[in-house]
Amino acid sequence: MATRAILAPFSAEFPSSNFPQLMLVNTRPVLAFDASTSETAYWTFAIPQGWTGTVTAVISYAMASAVSGGVAFDVALESITSGDAVDLDAGNSFDTVNAGNDSAVPGTAGYMEQISITLSNLDSAAAGDYVRVSLARDVADANDTATGDCYVLAVEIRDGA
Amino acid sequence: MALLPEADRLRIWRGLMRYWSSVGETTAFTKPDLKAAVDAIDTFLENNAAAINSALPQPFRGNATVEQKAVLLSGVIAMRYTKEWLRKLVGEVE
Repeated sequence: MATRAILAPFSAEFPSSNFPQLMLVNTRPVLAFDASTSETAYWTFAIPQGWTGTVTAVISYAMASAVSGGVAFDVALESITSGDAVDLDAGNSFDTVNAGNDSAVPGTAGYMEQISITLSNLDSAAAGDYVRVSLARDVADANDTATGDCYVLAVEIRDGA
Repeated sequence: MALLPEADRLRIWRGLMRYWSSVGETTAFTKPDLKAAVDAIDTFLENNAAAINSALPQPFRGNATVEQKAVLLSGVIAMRYTKEWLRKLVGEVE
């Protein structure tokens, strides 16, 4: 198992609307995902050499105020190989989302927990591909019941599990 | 006045969650719990609007607008439980 990418708040890319707020909480950079409007952030990297096995996204998060309920996230990949027929300046080609949740947020707001989401839908990502990862809080998911903002602190992409 | 439209109830629900997140106040209830509470309070106020109005003495009751009575009610509730909320509503109170 190896860490293949670390997706941090300051390196996030944002759509023109419905994106999490980048902010500092106790000097820690976080992405604040709203509880009622689904917001999305993106990150870009190249798939490293040696990419293999089951890939997992590990989301480190803390809640701004909630101490009960759960939180749900969707992670999707868009992987572009050299020569692919994808017009990058005209649209996206993300694979089906990979969904995951934490059914019980920490009992104290501000405490950190992690959600591991297996990325079964990888858009055929292979070493050397240009890839974007999207992260969205699925506020409509039945498991997303925690009130208020969810602070995402970092996302780790692991392979070889 | 009729019950609030669902869109307005959702605005309250959404706004409260964002407010409590912004001040870092612990919320020991879920999103559905909060929505049910918003709905219940709106229904209660609708069902008891006449009684609340009857509690107001004359001549205030006859001279104040519905909106002024609503602000009065929210101000008294705010002062009973959270003076800072009252300041947000009406400004400095000292």
